[in-house]
Amino acid sequence: MQTALRQLFHWMPFLFGIGFIAPLIAQTMAYWEIPAPFGISRIAFGLMIGAPWGLYATLRGRWL
Amino acid sequence: MNEMTTLQPGTVQSPGTGPAITLGEGDGLDAHTRRTLLQQERAIARKYSSSGKAMWPYTVATLGCFALWLAFWPLAMLDIMPLWIGFPLSCIFAAGGYITSHEAMHSNIGRPGTPQRFWNEAVGEVATIILIFPFSMARMMHLHHHYYTNDPEKDPDYTDAAPGKYSAWYKTWLNRQPGVDGSIHHYKRVLERIGTPAAKKALRDTMLLQLFSMAFFFAMSWAGYAMEVALLWWLPRHLGLSYIRYWLSWAPHHPRTGTGRYDNTRVFKTWIGHWLSMGMQYHVVHHLYPEVPNHLTRSAYREMKPILEARGVDCSALKD
Repeated sequence: MQTALRQLFHWMPFLFGIGFIAPLIAQTMAYWEIPAPFGISRIAFGLMIGAPWGLYATLRGRWL
Repeated sequence: MNEMTTLQPGTVQSPGTGPAITLGEGDGLDAHTRRTLLQQERAIARKYSSSGKAMWPYTVATLGCFALWLAFWPLAMLDIMPLWIGFPLSCIFAAGGYITSHEAMHSNIGRPGTPQRFWNEAVGEVATIILIFPFSMARMMHLHHHYYTNDPEKDPDYTDAAPGKYSAWYKTWLNRQPGVDGSIHHYKRVLERIGTPAAKKALRDTMLLQLFSMAFFFAMSWAGYAMEVALLWWLPRHLGLSYIRYWLSWAPHHPRTGTGRYDNTRVFKTWIGHWLSMGMQYHVVHHLYPEVPNHLTRSAYREMKPILEARGVDCSALKD
């Protein structure tokens, strides 16, 4: 249980990228009526930014 | 007014007939003078110490602001209240909540065994929810900070140390990064090292609050309310944490070299003033007498100033 929780918190930045940053990007684009590039949906675009960014934060230990 | 509490700047009186010994600064004091000064200091502190009955505004402010913050969610989701109103108020609630929680950490709202104790604990539990900072962890780490102020190994807040104000602001952000041993990450490590049942409870509370808040963030965001989450909780939390880290930790303890009773804080003056700096210009009084509530530290400082100067505290930054 403790190991599972440690792993969950270790991967939390990645989950944060998917769970919060991706929909935030999509909804901000929708608010400002900005279309996603390449004909993809805004949430797909948000995931393309949020997931790698969260993965980067998980691996490097910093968001920037 | 008692002569013990009417000291004039630059003079220190023995009880009774005025100065008995010409005093030097700081360590130039003999044991009798030190004892006399301590008695005078304590008499002033007693005068300003908190009384549970008089601390009700802290309880009302905390519970009222928390209720308002909860109400912001449906109001924003139903487009009744614009987010540009909820966002700045949530930032104020996030930062201000730490001040009321801080009083609860020192049991200033209600001492154990008094009728006000329930409200003390309620304020503590509620006030820092926006910061995702449980009361059990906050209280334990803050009391450790008091026991070991500026000790590089034992002071949980030592990670806020920075050479200047710009680097201090930067560090408030840096310390919250996932791989940096600062802020709440450092607190977790300290609690693991302490290992007592209370420390384990604080760790468990922290984990539960973090899991709950992340689940809330993710569920709300995927339900279409990511901007509400960002502007009512996520960003206010970050801005609030940076603000309190800078003003409540870095500013009053910089450069974090002193570990003694009279040199582990500094008296400073800031252009943003008493209220926006959350009373931290007079933080020396808080470390000497945590039972003096935040809103009375300025008055206590003004009376205590001659004594503090005699004990070697540099009070030149604040004339009054």
